[in-house]
Amino acid sequence: MGKYVVKRVLLALMTAFIVLSLTFILIKLLPPEKSVGTAVTRQTYYDNQVSLGYMTSSRFQLPDLQLVDFVTAKNGTVTYYYEVPVMEQYFKWISNILFHWDWGHSQFIEPNVKATVIIGERLLTSMKINIISVVVAVPIGIALGIWAALKKNTMTDHVISTTVMILISLPSFVIIAFLMLLLCYNNPILPTQWPNPTAPTSEKALGYILPVFSLSLGSICGYCRFVRAELCEVMESDYLLLARTKGLTRKQAILRHAMKNAMVPIFPSVLAEFIGIMGGSMILENLYGITGIGSLFVKSMTAKDYNILFVDLAIFTTLGLLAGVLLDLSYGFIDPRIRMGAKK
Amino acid sequence: MAQSVDVSKYEINEDSFRFVNSGKRITDTQLKTKGSSFGKDAFRRFCKNKASIAGAIVLGILLLLSAIVPMVSPFSVEPGAGNISEHFLQPKLFEAGTGFWDGTKEYKKSVNRDGSISGVVYDFENECPAGFYKPAVSKLVVDSEPTYINKATPTGKGGYMTFQTDNNDSQDNAVLYNYYQFPVTADGEYTFAYTMHTQDGVNEGSLGKFCVYLLDEETSEKIVLQDWTTSYNNASFDLSAKLTENGFTALNACRIYFEVEKVPNQSKYILLENLTLSCADETANANLAAISFTDATEMVNRAKVGTEIPAGYWQSNGVKGVYNSKIYYCEFVFDTYEEVYGRSEEVYAISDFRKLKEQGLCDFDEKNIIETFTVLSDECPIKEVLDVTKNHKTGKVQSVKVNVPKYYKMGYDKMPRHILGTDENGYDLFTLMFTSLRTSLLLGLCTAAFCFCFGLVWGSISGYFGGGVDLAMERFCEILGGVPWLVVMTLAILHFGSNFLTFVMALCLTGWMGTAARTRTQFYRFKGSEYVLASRTLGARDMRLIFRHILPNSLGTIVTSSVLMIVSTIYSEATLAYLNLGLQGTQAFGVMMAANQQYIQSYSFLVVFPAVVMALLMISFNLFGNGLRDALNPTLRGAED
Repeated sequence: MGKYVVKRVLLALMTAFIVLSLTFILIKLLPPEKSVGTAVTRQTYYDNQVSLGYMTSSRFQLPDLQLVDFVTAKNGTVTYYYEVPVMEQYFKWISNILFHWDWGHSQFIEPNVKATVIIGERLLTSMKINIISVVVAVPIGIALGIWAALKKNTMTDHVISTTVMILISLPSFVIIAFLMLLLCYNNPILPTQWPNPTAPTSEKALGYILPVFSLSLGSICGYCRFVRAELCEVMESDYLLLARTKGLTRKQAILRHAMKNAMVPIFPSVLAEFIGIMGGSMILENLYGITGIGSLFVKSMTAKDYNILFVDLAIFTTLGLLAGVLLDLSYGFIDPRIRMGAKK
Repeated sequence: MAQSVDVSKYEINEDSFRFVNSGKRITDTQLKTKGSSFGKDAFRRFCKNKASIAGAIVLGILLLLSAIVPMVSPFSVEPGAGNISEHFLQPKLFEAGTGFWDGTKEYKKSVNRDGSISGVVYDFENECPAGFYKPAVSKLVVDSEPTYINKATPTGKGGYMTFQTDNNDSQDNAVLYNYYQFPVTADGEYTFAYTMHTQDGVNEGSLGKFCVYLLDEETSEKIVLQDWTTSYNNASFDLSAKLTENGFTALNACRIYFEVEKVPNQSKYILLENLTLSCADETANANLAAISFTDATEMVNRAKVGTEIPAGYWQSNGVKGVYNSKIYYCEFVFDTYEEVYGRSEEVYAISDFRKLKEQGLCDFDEKNIIETFTVLSDECPIKEVLDVTKNHKTGKVQSVKVNVPKYYKMGYDKMPRHILGTDENGYDLFTLMFTSLRTSLLLGLCTAAFCFCFGLVWGSISGYFGGGVDLAMERFCEILGGVPWLVVMTLAILHFGSNFLTFVMALCLTGWMGTAARTRTQFYRFKGSEYVLASRTLGARDMRLIFRHILPNSLGTIVTSSVLMIVSTIYSEATLAYLNLGLQGTQAFGVMMAANQQYIQSYSFLVVFPAVVMALLMISFNLFGNGLRDALNPTLRGAED
């Protein structure tokens, strides 16, 4: 088991490294964007790029290198900034991250603010919403699934299953659009946009309802379907029949035997989802104007703020890989019968 | 106790037995019952699943519509073909006036979350809701009670003009004065009156101490009319008498000044309801009227107009505003089609009118044109004769006033009907929806087809040969699969621009791995089974084993997953569109949805209809896919009988 864990984690780390490297190189291959703003802002940004090793500066024009931009300072001195070859930048980037944990600065969104600072602020908002929605979704989803499984092939089950089937097929943007129409515009109960930080607490609390609702709806349906399938399978198993023949009531048999086994696969998926949706729903954040890292992606993409875009993508990649590893590992921890990666 | 049977009484000997079919030639005989092929069997199983059938039917309809609608629709949705004047038309299926789906929009007053009211204000001057085309308005109900707002709007009435000290650092008092200078003479019966208001409800106790005086700008002579006070009574002054009192006969360039005492860090104000300046001379009186007012809202608006009338009242160290301006909200039904395509009146000379008759486009009897006018051809520009002008001497018809509808001028034969309305660019939503659905489906089909082919080959090799080959291929997939598809899409769009090919390429780059993994699993499952082993013992080569024995058995699941890939591609495309990375250059479904999202409040049908189609597409595809999976699963053959 230990060996397998190490193997998986190492593989995930390697994948992350390769993916991030490729992303970095591909982004750096794009033509560099010129900074905008005052000469001081631009110079600060370029000087920072120089100190990070992604650019070189010169007082004179150098014909061999690729000119990015030049800045004329107040006293009239002109500084020319040139791009360093991509692979050279790549090795500088690795050392910057490994030794200084320096992920670069924002170019357009909040000029000259550290990317990690910007991400940090927004990650918190995204995480808050997602944690709440997981906390809401898990019990409701599991309860609905159990209910449907216990009433299998009755009207209750059909209603739940059909609703779940429909809701699970609906894309998130359709759900969000309908929820907004219903709760924000036609019956103005909730704010139409994510409240800004200065809004009163009650408004802020109301602002959580729509994002949490729309995020958890999908998970609720997912859990419900999953739990129902698992529980139905367990209920038909021989050992449950044995339990009943021993004289246990249906309730006892379900609570003591069926439930325990049915819950085994649920836990890992909760864990994985928890990690997975930490990144937040990009579409939701974008549509509802939530200042999380999902909407930051769109913002940085539109502004062509590549440094921010890169860090944002790095987070999504890492979270995704982490969720995958955790999911696989947790199977092994929870159910000893499953030996992940075991030979035949 | 079990009873024992005494077998001895049954005598069994060799004669009791005889050979079956002894002496007959035994050959294979054809089956008496009808055989069933895999396809037939799958179809039968599929038909048993009601939900899948429903899904397939809905899916079929959507596919059919996306194929037919762009071809037969009378409206063009080619990029650039939209007519901006036709934008935001409401869905119309029935005649206007039926009240349901008839191209009308109901405007109602509504209360916002913060308690403010949103609605359309009635414009008394034009006798229609402010900013709306009057002939298209029906069922108009104007509020009987006014709503008070503290803002000067063109449709507002009454209220009080507020004059408030501002918070700048200046120690000077705030002064309000009329811009237009006027002369005052002692014998001209000049009078001045104002009504002030002690208005509670604003901020109790912040009414300021004020004074009023007349100032001659030429000589700086100042005649105090009202000394510093805090009582806000009505007041009227005989200016001519005041002049005489102060020993003047005439002042040439006077202004009335209201001065409000400034208190540090407090806003003090006065409220003026009306102000009248008059004199005996008529020309001078007309000039004075420009600075008099009975309607404070109107006065503030007058100042905004600016150039033609000297801008009402000016101020220093203070802010001018309106308090309790009255507006009337109204509720009504607005026919959007009437505004865009409806009636427009034109006057035709009788000679031109006769030419139309000669061309055979219409028919009329010149004695009674209005009643006998009939349209004979769609090409006739005139649809209705409204009025006839006759020469008042001879009594002969000179010209006719006719209705040449706007739709005719826009190139339509009759009033168009957009059954799902039109979008911001004036595209017919119904046509646009299915045209863009066609693009999206095509995108999905291309992607799914490529992924199916490539994934099948990759998965077959990986699954069939196993061992080192499999390991290497798996590791490759693991790394490529670790790249989030969004990253791939983003980078592809950044490098190659947003077009159809980039999308197919980028979606395929990550998409084929699903098919490959599924194929690999299937190969692992079947390659060790007995029938494959048997075939191999008989000398079958790898190719034969793969294509004749293993693949047909595993194809069901793989095909199903590929079909579902079409829908996931459409979903991905839409997701990207919502992230501002949408497909450019052609109309794609997601791009349309994302673009319409901003009209969710004002024109919600633009969001609702595409969302419903998207939902139907997703649900029916999933139902169909599930049914297909069960139908194509060979192990379920005969299982349910």
